[in-house]
Parts: sequence; structure tokens; C-alpha cells
Amino acid sequence: MIRHIKLAGLIAALLTILLPSVTLAEDLIFSVSPSEISIDNLPPGDAAEFELTIYNKDEIAHNFTLTIFQPPEEERREGKTEFPEDSWISLSPQELEVAANAEAEITAMVAIPRDQEWTGKDWETWLGVAAASSDLLTVKLYVRLLVSTPSAVETRSNAPLVAGIIVGIVLLGYGGYYYFRRKAKSE
Amino acid sequence: MKKVITSILVATVLALILSSPAFGEESESITITMTGVSEISISLDKTQWQLGEVATDTEHTTNPAIEWCTLEVIGNSAVKIFIVGEDARWYEDEVGKNYYWTLSDDGTNGENVYGLLFRIAGDTARGYVPITKTQGEFWPYSDHPPLEPGQYKQFGLKLITPTYFIGNREMRTQITISAVAA
Repeated sequence: MIRHIKLAGLIAALLTILLPSVTLAEDLIFSVSPSEISIDNLPPGDAAEFELTIYNKDEIAHNFTLTIFQPPEEERREGKTEFPEDSWISLSPQELEVAANAEAEITAMVAIPRDQEWTGKDWETWLGVAAASSDLLTVKLYVRLLVSTPSAVETRSNAPLVAGIIVGIVLLGYGGYYYFRRKAKSE
Repeated sequence: MKKVITSILVATVLALILSSPAFGEESESITITMTGVSEISISLDKTQWQLGEVATDTEHTTNPAIEWCTLEVIGNSAVKIFIVGEDARWYEDEVGKNYYWTLSDDGTNGENVYGLLFRIAGDTARGYVPITKTQGEFWPYSDHPPLEPGQYKQFGLKLITPTYFIGNREMRTQITISAVAA
């Protein structure tokens, strides 16, 4: 019987692991502001810049990383579609250390390529901020980023401009012709 | 002479009037709206779970089982909470890829496959919910409202070890709990 128990103990020891090791509660609390950013009427070919603030409310410094996350359709705001390309968003810096009880700013830029394909769109993506941690449980905070582009900007803007210039040139030409003709006659 | 000057002026004004909508379009402003002074934040009163030595094919729950950790909304935005897990990796393996336990997608176990589940106190409808490698909803679910600032949820974890694994290896994993403005 004792032999059986010893054997069982040996097997258990061989099949055991540690998961995870030391336990010390850490109160890592941080926040991000704002929680939602909406960029309206961003024309393709243009860019918009804004800032996020990370507040480290802990007594020690922490490293934070920023990522871009495409939320599933059911989690997006109504009418919003998937942001087409993560590379259109730049975050500077993408990793940073924030001192204890301090705040730091991240500059974000959204640049849409100049292409008619991207007019009249309503997109949503999330910017994630996470503190580096080796603990089992870790927190990530997302900022909703909503971006809309105007519909058919170039088509609407160019036509009246060209028409206006043509009419102006015709009328000015007529005026000039009339003036010089009158001048020539009077001489 | 007066007629000529008048006609030129009329032509200029006309050209400007006709082209003004175009200039108007060009100068349409980009609006960046930052929702008030909204600040998003949540806190967890526990971030580590000491399991110690475990055997194959066994269940381990936190103590207390479903009121082990308190998640509280401490920002000023109502939030939706999500949860995602990952494979458990051999800590001493520097590359971190040579030996790992795969996180199952349904809370069950298998050879070198482990299950991880969470349960929220008071959530009798769902009971234990598998944590997978795809971000899933933690709270709210169904028709429940999101968590308002100051509100909290207590929850616990359950781990089911693989039916087979290589022993004497310290395995580590991470669960990410995320929040977004509701």
C-alpha cells in the first residue's frame, strides 16, 4: 500500500508543473483619454492628427504599447464598416514608458490615400493601449476611432470651378474686345 | 467707357459667384470630435493565480470560485468588457515556441491542450464560459446593459490541465481583459 502511494506520488511529481510562480498583488491602474474620437469629412489624400493621453496611476513607472485592433461587426457603432488598412494610421510612439503618477501623450495620424474608392465611407477601428506585464491577468483599453470621408469631393468641386472660369474668361474677353473696338473707332 | 468697366466688373462678379461653390467645397473643414473629457479605465484587484504543481486531466478553480477577482469601472465612461486567452508556454524555453499547451476553443482539454474558463458571480445563465484565443464578450452579454462607472463584476477562473503533458516544466499564460466605451 505504501509502495502504491509512493509510486502515485512519484508519477504526480513527474507530471507536475508550476503555473505561474510567485504571487504578489499589483494594482496597476491606468486610463486613456479620450475614449472615443470621431474624424468627420476627412477627404482622401488628406490627413488628420490627434492626441491620446495615457495616465499611469501606479506608484511605479510602466511600459505601454499601442496596437490597432479591428473590432468584429457586432461591436462597431451602427453603420460603421471595417477600417480598410491599419497602415493608414500611425501612432507615435508605439511603445513608451510612463513615470509613476504621470501622464504621456501619443500622437496619432490618420491619412487616407487619394482615391475615389475611399469617398463616402464610414469606418471604425480601435486603438488598444496595454501595459507590459507578466501577470496572468492583464488589462487593455481600447479607444474607438471613427473616420468618415466626404462623398465625391473632387467631382463636385471641379465642375463649377471650371464652368465659372470659362464664363469669366468669355465675358472678360468680350469686354476687352468691346473696349478696344470702341477705342479704335474713336481714334 | 463706363459700359466697358461695368461689363468687366459684372463678368468678374459673375465668375466669382459661379465658382464660389467650388471654393466652398474645397474649404470644407475636417472635424475631429473627442467625446468630452471621457476617460476609460478598469481595475482588477488580482492579477496572479498561484496554481503550484498540477497533474494531468485535472480541474483547478480559483478560491473563491466565482468571486475571486473584482473588476471595477473607474473611468467616467460606461464600458463593454472582453476577454481573450493564449497558449501556455514553457517559461524556461527562451524561444517560447518549442513547448506549449494549446488553449482549446471550447474549454475542454486534450493532449497538450488545456481549457480555461471564467464565471461571473450571479451569471447563472451562462455559468462557466470558455476563454479562447479569439476575443470574446465578458460583459455585457445578451440584453444586459454595459457597466457604468463605479459598477463592478466579480469573477473566477477554472483551468483544466491537458490529458498529457511533459512534466516538470513551468508553464505561463496570460489572459487579457479589455474595455471599450459602450
